[in-house]
Amino acid sequence: MIPHTLRVTLLLAVICYFIIIFYYLKRRMLELKYTLIWLVAGVVMGIMIYFPELTVRFVHLIGMQDNMNGLYIMCLAFIMMILMTLTSIASRQQMKIRVLIQEISMLEKRIRELEVDTKEGKEFRKD
Amino acid sequence: MNASKKILIIIPAYNEADNIEKVVGNLISNFPQYDYIIVNDGSTDRTKQICSERGYAVLHLPINMGIGGAVQTGYRYARDNGYDIAVQIDGDGQHDVGFLENMIRYMEEEEADCVIGSRFVKKEGFQSSGLRRIGIRFLSIMGWLLTGVRLKDITSGYRLVNRRFIRIFAEDYPADYPEPEAMVITAVHGGKIREYPVVMREREGGISSITLKKSVYYMVKVTIAMLIRRLSFGVRRQK
Repeated sequence: MIPHTLRVTLLLAVICYFIIIFYYLKRRMLELKYTLIWLVAGVVMGIMIYFPELTVRFVHLIGMQDNMNGLYIMCLAFIMMILMTLTSIASRQQMKIRVLIQEISMLEKRIRELEVDTKEGKEFRKD
Repeated sequence: MNASKKILIIIPAYNEADNIEKVVGNLISNFPQYDYIIVNDGSTDRTKQICSERGYAVLHLPINMGIGGAVQTGYRYARDNGYDIAVQIDGDGQHDVGFLENMIRYMEEEEADCVIGSRFVKKEGFQSSGLRRIGIRFLSIMGWLLTGVRLKDITSGYRLVNRRFIRIFAEDYPADYPEPEAMVITAVHGGKIREYPVVMREREGGISSITLKKSVYYMVKVTIAMLIRRLSFGVRRQK
């Protein structure tokens, strides 16, 4: 079993974790869309700590001997999942930036040409 | 035959101040029948000033995006302006536009979607170093295994595509080191690819985008990119 003191510590840690996330969300420093996976991770952690027997059963189910090791592995899995999501977000943003840059360059060319046209138009009218 | 078609030459240029005048000057004076567009890929040298002073047709990318992003800008421009054929050449003067007329004719004769200017068909002119040729051979075998299309010069940046692939590339073009991957895209879309023998010059100024240091990264990245391209289309094709 997971020791009681550890459970209390972990529970406090999860509460801190939620407070930090909500603080950031409130101050609009985090986009809710990207925070959902963090929140889900927090909920799962909370459940794992509150119902340790579930954790124990799950750890045994996947063939781990030691409960603590099981916990660590699960943490790692979550972190890796979150990192993967981040990489995917970064990639998608890069793609969007790419389209933006390309569109800007084409608009810039049009503006440049329009400027020349209007200048020539003005000179034409002067004559 | 060619006169009725709108043809755009895409010239990606990153820090090509030494070459751009020669390349574009040659285009303007000797090949006025073709439109061209320079894509200045966020150059830090005088490329931008030179283009402005000379009044060249140029798109300035505010940020450097790499050759793929630059070339794709050209394809988007070609699509938005209704071009029938887009030709991409390097900004460093390696590719002789003199071959273009024959390449276009060959494209029409063969009813090809994509014609690649290849320096290995006739083995004339600049042939690249031995190690690089091995790399190119490896990638060409990869391309052959993945798509069943055999190309000798799979990394050649001298290629023309028709309207259909202008649209496809405008939407989806690989970001860096794009040529072999673009070939896989063309093949999996069912495009007909042909090679036409050209003679390439050794680049005169500037630096090649692929230094020896980067070549390992290049090989790994391109190989994986080709594989993933093939796999993702393989799944989609089953539909």
